[in-house]
Amino acid sequence: MLASMYIYLPIAEISMHIGIIIGLGGGVGFLSGLFGVGGGFLMTPLLIFFGIPPAVAVATEANQIVASSVSGGLAHMRRGNVDFKMGGILLLGGVVGSSFGVMLFASLREMGQIDLVIKLSYVVFLGIIGFLMLLESVRTILRTRRPGGRKTKLHQHNWLHGLPLKMRFRRSKLYISALLPLAIGAFVGVLAAIMGVGGGFIMVPAMIYLLGMPTSIVVGTSLFQIIFVTANVTFLQSVQTQTVDFMLAGLLLFGAVIGAQFGTRASALLRGEQLRGLLALMVLAVCIKLGFDLALRPDHLFSVELLK
Amino acid sequence: MIRARQLILGFILLLGMTSLAAANSGRLVADLSKSNIAITSGFHGTDLLLFGAVDGAAGDDILVVISGPPTDIAQRRKANRAGIWINVETNIWQKVPSLYTILATSPIDKIASPKTLASLAIGTNNIGLEIAAKTPIAGQSKPTANEFIAALQTNMANIDLWPDQTGNVTLTENALFRAEVKLPANILSGTYDVRVLQFRNGVAISEDITNLYINKGGLSAGIYNFAHNYSALYGIFAILFAVAAGWLAAAAFRRS
Repeated sequence: MLASMYIYLPIAEISMHIGIIIGLGGGVGFLSGLFGVGGGFLMTPLLIFFGIPPAVAVATEANQIVASSVSGGLAHMRRGNVDFKMGGILLLGGVVGSSFGVMLFASLREMGQIDLVIKLSYVVFLGIIGFLMLLESVRTILRTRRPGGRKTKLHQHNWLHGLPLKMRFRRSKLYISALLPLAIGAFVGVLAAIMGVGGGFIMVPAMIYLLGMPTSIVVGTSLFQIIFVTANVTFLQSVQTQTVDFMLAGLLLFGAVIGAQFGTRASALLRGEQLRGLLALMVLAVCIKLGFDLALRPDHLFSVELLK
Repeated sequence: MIRARQLILGFILLLGMTSLAAANSGRLVADLSKSNIAITSGFHGTDLLLFGAVDGAAGDDILVVISGPPTDIAQRRKANRAGIWINVETNIWQKVPSLYTILATSPIDKIASPKTLASLAIGTNNIGLEIAAKTPIAGQSKPTANEFIAALQTNMANIDLWPDQTGNVTLTENALFRAEVKLPANILSGTYDVRVLQFRNGVAISEDITNLYINKGGLSAGIYNFAHNYSALYGIFAILFAVAAGWLAAAAFRRS
């Protein structure tokens, strides 16, 4: 019975235990429900760790994120937490960025450097984000213990607000240059294509601190953008590299849906700053693990890849 | 006249029979328990039985070589640059067997001399890897080439495609032989050659070749062909599936 629980993944072209796939989906789904994050930044490295070829892991994860951002995004749309105009500009940048990212991905893969670039991107971005989040949550925890702490202004005016092509975003209560969200969207799009993530972990802080959007609509608007950018990545990877494993995505999704339900319930048991602190530690753990992989001498200096 | 003709005919027949008998002195027939294998959704490698009959004598050895469809392989070497290990060198191997394994009644160095094995192209040292390497082996010193070949053998053994030994061959009463063959889960689809050789005193005296066919089948073949032949449609389908799944999950979540 146990032996028959293996499933042959048609695109990854490897056989994997079905329990591992659903377990991965469930585990990452639980964490994404708990912390309110997409989970792509955990899932892609885990898939690679379990032997899925990096190219398949990244493209398949984009396909799975379409589903998770639809289910998350629908809830936010229902509550009116989406600035469609801002989302549209971010999306425009995202489509350009992710299309470029898929091309970059294909040529890096040919050069044999895609694994390195994927891992380096993870180390750099997870390192920065994890460190900043940890700092912030520790500060908040300390501040709540010492009442009477100062409150900082959400955003200050700087040179970014002097850029041309100004637009009014009514829902976000902003009058800023469209170049700013366009650039953020494009940058996140490149990351989405190369790292197999939605990019919420970069976009959300950028929307709050760089654009100065109200926090209540940040998550919904970023999810709206992520749906279409990951759909674009799924399509382009399907056409260019044929690395989207539909069966793998479906099984991961099945686990993730169940896991997310439990995660959301569990999140009620913890306070916001504690959650953020834990998330920061987890982000840093993934970063350190990948960093060590790059820095430690590998067991075999040679590696092979079958080209078909 | 007629008698003379009959005599000649008889002589020819006799000649034919003796030459057949000479061939018979090392006759070998081999077959597989299944020669068509489908890689379906439940595929996790497979075991099959190779069996046959041989006109053998005490001390004979049976050696089986299974080699798979040729593939190109990118081999990369890592080196430390600025504190991290990155790929610095790539060598492309052209048309080397994706699966190569030897099964035998004894360790192969006891069956025949390296020279004999080389002349029969048995073993990954004797399948022309020097020629298969495009870069950078061509025009490089021999030690470097050997280093790349040895690393290829190690890497391929580690991913179960060139396993050192998948099992032993048993020879009963010098007449019947059988071997359990394990095929790994990451095997490629295509046609495989199964060579069975009989050795006596270090010399190959008979050989039989049979084929093994491995194809993708069932749902897994369907998805693979869909992805490769109608890739744009596949992409759209994958997106629609994800949107539907996400919407369903949201609906189920709202109700609970």
